[in-house]
Amino acid sequence: MMRTALLIFRLALMERAAYRVNFMLQICGGILSILIVVFLWLAVYRSSGRSELGGYTLPEMITYLLGAGLINSFLLTTAENPETSQAIQDGSLSNLLVQPFSPYGLWLFRDLAGKAFLGAIGLAGYTVLAVLLNEKLVLALEPFRLALFGAALAAAVLLQFLVFQSLSLLAFWVENTYGFRFTMRVIMEVAGGAIIPLSFFPAWVQKVFALLPFTYFVYFPMRIYLNKIEPDEILSGLIRAAAWTAGLAGLNAVLWKRGLRRYTAMGD
Amino acid sequence: MKRHLRLFMLLCKIGLMRQMAYRPHFFLMVFGKVVRMALLLLFFQAVFLKIDRLGQWTFDQVLLLFATFHLVDYVMSITFQRNLSFHLPALIQSGNLDSRLTLPVQPLFMASLEHIDMMDFISFLPCLGLLGYALYRLDVAFTWLHALMYGLLIVNALVFLFAVVLIIATTSFWTTQSAGLARVFDDLTRVGRYPLDIFEGFWKFFFIYVLPLALISQVPSQALLGALSPGFLLYAVACSGLLAVIAIRFWRTGLNNYSSTSS
Repeated sequence: MMRTALLIFRLALMERAAYRVNFMLQICGGILSILIVVFLWLAVYRSSGRSELGGYTLPEMITYLLGAGLINSFLLTTAENPETSQAIQDGSLSNLLVQPFSPYGLWLFRDLAGKAFLGAIGLAGYTVLAVLLNEKLVLALEPFRLALFGAALAAAVLLQFLVFQSLSLLAFWVENTYGFRFTMRVIMEVAGGAIIPLSFFPAWVQKVFALLPFTYFVYFPMRIYLNKIEPDEILSGLIRAAAWTAGLAGLNAVLWKRGLRRYTAMGD
Repeated sequence: MKRHLRLFMLLCKIGLMRQMAYRPHFFLMVFGKVVRMALLLLFFQAVFLKIDRLGQWTFDQVLLLFATFHLVDYVMSITFQRNLSFHLPALIQSGNLDSRLTLPVQPLFMASLEHIDMMDFISFLPCLGLLGYALYRLDVAFTWLHALMYGLLIVNALVFLFAVVLIIATTSFWTTQSAGLARVFDDLTRVGRYPLDIFEGFWKFFFIYVLPLALISQVPSQALLGALSPGFLLYAVACSGLLAVIAIRFWRTGLNNYSSTSS
């Protein structure tokens, strides 16, 4: 079982590595977008004449933006991945169903491989940016905090897969799921804190965002990294992220089971 | 000209029919695009909760800039952007460009407008509402001359973007892979959402004179606000015109260099 999973992971990595130039350009685009936002915030701090805005100093804000950019652009990319809905729509799911491993596991490990690949290349690109912005960054070096950050990031990766996988599974019922995934991605970016820390929004908006799982995608891990969260809040946050993961895994299981009952494929 | 206009209307109709084939998807995408614009506005509002001005720009002026950027961006994505950035390289790669070249229309016309994005056309309508709202909030007495210059500079921005997108797409004739570069340029155009006051020194110079992304929304907005000098107006028009000439020549060279790869 583990060997099959590792093999799927490796094959998916090789497949992605075949299109290196496109990925490098994708990363360049991502870094450029972040640089533009960094310039924007430098100007905002300059215009305000203050050293702290929304509870963030300038180095904290730039660190947040870089971290959020890295997480958002490279790790949380399942939204763009049409693999599951495509397999359901074009009938290639039939082939997967007769294989000696679960299609669900296949999609999960392929997704993880994609994120690992983009994450590794992205990290290299962002390291260059970090060196350039060295004096304006906050470096967290305490192993315990980094471990908690890693745990929150792992929860984010899994949660994000489950959110978008549940939308992809709607392909059992509707003809095209891209609209759902696109809208969710748009909401995810803002409500997850990928564009701006959520503390910048008016209080009522923050309350609405707190009800959604997206806050665990970027805002929660980055607050841990920047040490802007109390230890008890980290614990309750991790528990809530785990509860969301369990809930969404349950939803996925139900959709998968009911969807398979409806599924028919024709072909030669 | 009349024939091309008729053909354009037909392409719009085909685009609408194709995209409306999945109606829930169509409306959901429109909804998603409108939500995206609303959330970006919320982002600007959140920023302006902390400051009064961004450089020299007030919130209402930034709103005008934002609406202008999206106006230009939507017209581009409805018409030529995806056609040139993604469909053309695919046609060249597959050799299917042959069938387009044998049609009795200008090859550049078909390459730029074959797929009209009616989804973006519907999403574009709220953008016009936003522009109206920004103008209402600005509370400035606009002269007809300012409005005319604004319109002219919007067209100028589209000419500039068309030229850059065409130059990038034309490289496909040699590399068959220009989509990645087109995406990078797409990311870079987002500079147009913000006032150039966010940049200082070299970068400000770069976005005005080297890669003049200032032409997308900053220059038209400044013209409407009556803050554009005649010299800069001339520079903007000359810059786009020159780039368009270069782009079309490059396209012709690329087309002459094209050799089909289909079977």
